[in-house]
Amino acid sequence: MKLTFVTPRYGTAVIGGAETAARMLAERVAPRPGWEVEVLTSCALDHLTWENTEVAGTSVVGGVTVHRFPTASRRLLEYFELDGRLRVAPSAATLADARRWVALNGPVCPDLVDAVAGSDADVVACYPYLFATTVDAIAVSPAPVVLHPAAHDEPALYLPAFQRSFRGVDAFVYHTRAERQLMEHVFRLGDRPQVVLGLGVDEPAGTGRPGGELLGLGSRRYLCYLGRVDEHKGCQMLADFFARYKERHPGDLALAFVGPVSDRAPDHPDIVVTGTVDEDDKWDILAGAEVMVTPSAYESFSLVVLEAWTLGVPVLVNATCAATMEHCRRSGGGLWFDSYRSFEATVERLTGDPDVATSLGEAGRRYTERHFRWPAIVDRYTAFLEGVAARGRGAVLSAARLEAPRGGEAYTREGAA
Amino acid sequence: MPTPPAATPPETAADGSAAPPQGAADGVDYLDQVMAEIDAEVRRRRASGDLPAGLERELDELFLEFSPVGLQGRARLRETLALVDGAAYVDIAVPVASEKPIGTYVKRLLRTGLGWYLRYIVDQVVKFAWAVSRMLHVVVDHVEELEAAVESTRSPDLPVEVARTGEPATDWWRPVAIEALAGVAGRVVHGDCGDGSLVAALVAAGVDAYGVDPSEPALAAALDDGLDVRAEPVLDHLEVVADEALGGLVLSGSVQWLRPNERQRLVDLAASRLTPGGVLVLHSATPASWAAGAPTLVRDLAPGRPLHAGTWAFLLAGRGFSVAAPLTGGPDRTLARVGASTPDADTVNAAIDAINELLLGPGAYLLVATRER
Repeated sequence: MKLTFVTPRYGTAVIGGAETAARMLAERVAPRPGWEVEVLTSCALDHLTWENTEVAGTSVVGGVTVHRFPTASRRLLEYFELDGRLRVAPSAATLADARRWVALNGPVCPDLVDAVAGSDADVVACYPYLFATTVDAIAVSPAPVVLHPAAHDEPALYLPAFQRSFRGVDAFVYHTRAERQLMEHVFRLGDRPQVVLGLGVDEPAGTGRPGGELLGLGSRRYLCYLGRVDEHKGCQMLADFFARYKERHPGDLALAFVGPVSDRAPDHPDIVVTGTVDEDDKWDILAGAEVMVTPSAYESFSLVVLEAWTLGVPVLVNATCAATMEHCRRSGGGLWFDSYRSFEATVERLTGDPDVATSLGEAGRRYTERHFRWPAIVDRYTAFLEGVAARGRGAVLSAARLEAPRGGEAYTREGAA
Repeated sequence: MPTPPAATPPETAADGSAAPPQGAADGVDYLDQVMAEIDAEVRRRRASGDLPAGLERELDELFLEFSPVGLQGRARLRETLALVDGAAYVDIAVPVASEKPIGTYVKRLLRTGLGWYLRYIVDQVVKFAWAVSRMLHVVVDHVEELEAAVESTRSPDLPVEVARTGEPATDWWRPVAIEALAGVAGRVVHGDCGDGSLVAALVAAGVDAYGVDPSEPALAAALDDGLDVRAEPVLDHLEVVADEALGGLVLSGSVQWLRPNERQRLVDLAASRLTPGGVLVLHSATPASWAAGAPTLVRDLAPGRPLHAGTWAFLLAGRGFSVAAPLTGGPDRTLARVGASTPDADTVNAAIDAINELLLGPGAYLLVATRER
């Protein structure tokens, strides 16, 4: 069985997000007897610029064959203008505008699309929904297409270009039930074969060093945020809420932001920002945390919640995030906040009542053990893909490719090029 | 700052300390208990006003800024409306503080010089914003009144665990259903599929079948077997299926106790979701057998009652289905005739025949309907 992943960027340098989820799956399916796994991706690693920074051609990453193709264009400033215009009423956008948005969002890789069209794969798995590589691959793939949408409730999901594109999908793999409900509600594709798979969690690493020492906090207690430090992930809100909490609750409690910093790091005497850390340090810091907090409202799975639970650490999540709320409600392993008031009360409770923290952490651990261990996840995934391959390519092919954006001003992280 | 009152842990160890919940259900119950206590504490603190109102609003706005719009609207209607009210006023008293002494002077000059112009524009903007805000208040009041009215007239759902006990124990109809669905073009969904045994049998017969059921625990075995089954009611599921996407539809279980409006919605959805030539299979207890044999909890709590086969045929025919004559089966509920040696045997047997015909009869029926092309 040959499985081809199509993903806009790929590699160990891509931290977090759906593309990492694709890599985790690819690297675990590849060693299975009878399975051949390859990845078709762009030469870009930066999803904001789509600059071709990797060498085109074939390499092996983590035991998986990776074919890289150049992007036809860097991201243009026109994208931001069109995005601002369409996001007010995305479902009312014209199909032409919506397809233009997808092309501008990129990455448009004509050679990659040719490779999909000529692929001898038994199944093509696209991951995630949002990018031009996915829309183009769905349009031209001769093999059955499985889409891992990694979707959450955001304006782009309602653009008519996706409505049309997804008719060409043969089956769906979801991270959570909430994601399935969202996708089915928006696209009315409930009849398509699907599986709610999620992702697996590795056995905790770490060296047993006290997390407080690694953070320079000594024996102080701390809350932990794990992931990209980014305003859109709710990090600034978390920092502001925590600062307010400390004004009202003076004490030794600290907050650690652990992960690469995209936006300006929160500045507060009780807040530590580590930047990127290695796996051992990550697990040691997590193990020592009183609570792991995920303030983001836009998660399609949130692996870090499950990683915290493997260590019995309770979590605190944003009540408007369907995915993390689903984890908490199904497991009984975490609390949620929907205002500063509830943030304050839940932090107070989790840090002040060891019985509650222990009970929640243990409930989360049981949930993770039961549903999210890799061997079982890969068994279910491969069985599902075999079923999809057996059903064959039944969905509607469109064959209409996106046109690569030309001639505009390129975006750079510093501003206009 | 007072500490929220503590939930009692679900179990207590011998030394009196809290022990963690043992099962998933225990954990979820405990979570509900803890969150209920926290919610009560949050309400108490909001009422106490220990945070200045302006600061509290600012913090709430910060949270909402990073929340999905849909969720804000559904779950926080009143709070979001309060944010609209707060934002409806546009302040033209622009701050003039500056790090440079000349800066403050220049800013004050600009503010004074442009004040007449900005005031003219802003007055109109504020009038418009307040008009919109007032309208939204009227709309929200109206929506809440309607929700309260609808809620007061809504009969509750039949609890899933009770519904399970009301399903006919026999599967006489399944071979007929499989034969009717073999060879249809498109996927077949079994509503109220339970443990997925019919879905498995359909798949084994070469039918591209999947199932839905409102009870998640009922689906556990089917999921372990790798079947495509989802935990949702059949009506909800059909809402998210495209028109003419299904080759077949099997209805059993809850179809027997739907509310009248749900029944009509189900017929409409079946007609639109099945392809022309698609097959609908409907299995139900007969009204008489249901009234006599269904568990009392089911009969008392069910929001609707089973229909006669002829009534379903009438409803389906009205939506473009061609309906075959119903098949009957299920437990043999008829009384046995007495032997000829019994005194007044003829009279007794005549009475038994009448009872069998009028009150008992077959326990269940199966309808096979085809959507006309």
